[in-house]
Amino acid sequence: MIVGLDRADDAGVYKITDDIALIQTVDFFTPIVDDPYWFGQIAAANALSDVYAMGGVPKTAMNLVAFPIKTMPVSVLREIIRGGIDKLKEAGVVLIGGHSIEDNELKYGLSITGLIHPDRILTKHNMKPGDKLILTKPLGTGIINTAIKGGLAPDDVIEKVTRQMAMLNKNAAEIMSAFPVHACTDITGFGFLGHLAEMIWGSNMGAVIQREDIPVIPEAIEFASMGFVPGGAYKNREFRESMVQFSEEIDPVTRDILFDPQTSGGLLIALPPSHADELLSRLRQNSMDTAAIVGYINTGKKGMIHVK
Amino acid sequence: MKTIDARGLACPTPVLQTKAMIDKEDPEMIQITVDNEAARQNVVRFLEFRKFQTTVTTEGNDIKIVGKRGPGTAGQQEADMAGTDRNSSQILVMISSDRMGHGDDDLGQKLMKSFISTLKEMGNELWRIVCVNSGVKLAIEGAESLPHLKELEEKGVSILVCGTCLTHFNLLEKKQVGETTNMLDIITSLQVADHVINL
Repeated sequence: MIVGLDRADDAGVYKITDDIALIQTVDFFTPIVDDPYWFGQIAAANALSDVYAMGGVPKTAMNLVAFPIKTMPVSVLREIIRGGIDKLKEAGVVLIGGHSIEDNELKYGLSITGLIHPDRILTKHNMKPGDKLILTKPLGTGIINTAIKGGLAPDDVIEKVTRQMAMLNKNAAEIMSAFPVHACTDITGFGFLGHLAEMIWGSNMGAVIQREDIPVIPEAIEFASMGFVPGGAYKNREFRESMVQFSEEIDPVTRDILFDPQTSGGLLIALPPSHADELLSRLRQNSMDTAAIVGYINTGKKGMIHVK
Repeated sequence: MKTIDARGLACPTPVLQTKAMIDKEDPEMIQITVDNEAARQNVVRFLEFRKFQTTVTTEGNDIKIVGKRGPGTAGQQEADMAGTDRNSSQILVMISSDRMGHGDDDLGQKLMKSFISTLKEMGNELWRIVCVNSGVKLAIEGAESLPHLKELEEKGVSILVCGTCLTHFNLLEKKQVGETTNMLDIITSLQVADHVINL
């Protein structure tokens, strides 16, 4: 075993030969959008993301389904699975099985298995002083999803955010593989600062984040100001507050967005400053037009993130 | 005071219940009881977004949020706009040109001057005059209608003059009567008036 439960990481890695290691992950959740086909796609993109974040190539998948078969038409389930399979096809992954149970609450997700070279594993814990941090997708999906639940998000916003969540991190991972990346993770339930906190903790580093460089879905600011912040954002903040120092002018809404739990969020990549601009322009050329350099790593205050 | 018990409910439900209550009842005061920090912050944020002043007290696990409508909130403004005397109907006259009708411009200007000078005959029901587009030219220094508009204003008729239009004609400094206004005020006025006369 190369990567296991001892340190928090995106997926487990098990070495088979000197050239091949197995990378495995599982993720499932309750619906976040009403459209079952899109929910299936988002669930698949989210599950695949952990493999991409570690630099692996996903190969096979298994479905996990909990479905209220007595109260919900089976066509809903079919659409969810179809969404999942379409996303797997896009990723070049084969569905080889799965398991379903009856449950009052619908849940769907996948277990993904991939391959990775044992020497080329990207963990969260190898950041170096001076590394620049690149974020590939804008923040705010948790807040928008809360507004969707409340029936307040307009259709065009729902569609925009749905597409963003269903977007694979495959492209970002492939582009990143040509660069000397030190560490990477995908932004999900712990929010941007929660995941960054894990990275600097593991690397024994500090980080400086420039607020104005963080890509944010504009409508998330509006909904957060109206009080549509998910409970998870508060929990994330409570848990990691001691590791974050906010400059005074950072308003409460921005703080919530930085802790907002993301569904199928982007990759957070740490790499030497000499390569950061080139990686950023490659990402932007490949339809990740909101990708941005959001900060850098230092050794000033170890274990602290300073948001300016 | 309207009260909501949102204990045991996860976000965004407490905010949605608060929103529904405000949209339906338009209360002066509202109290929401929640039992977790996320709900507290979200409800307070929503109330402040809706211009309520909030106070929070904690009793055991219960967090009580009281929202009181602050000055200058939506409901309040509407009441002010409508005025205190609502016994008679309110007439709004919308003037969107400095002349009356089409055909001959000289004639149109004469007719408009005559219209403004005779408008007082409408009596107390004349509530507000709104001047837009070239209509703002009636309210500037040197305009023949200016004394009549001033007279109406002294009698308590409210006169709104479109700021965008004054700027467009470069007349912002020359306005002599009425309040410079924006489109939101104009729309609210149209909504609050009982009758609208368009010129």
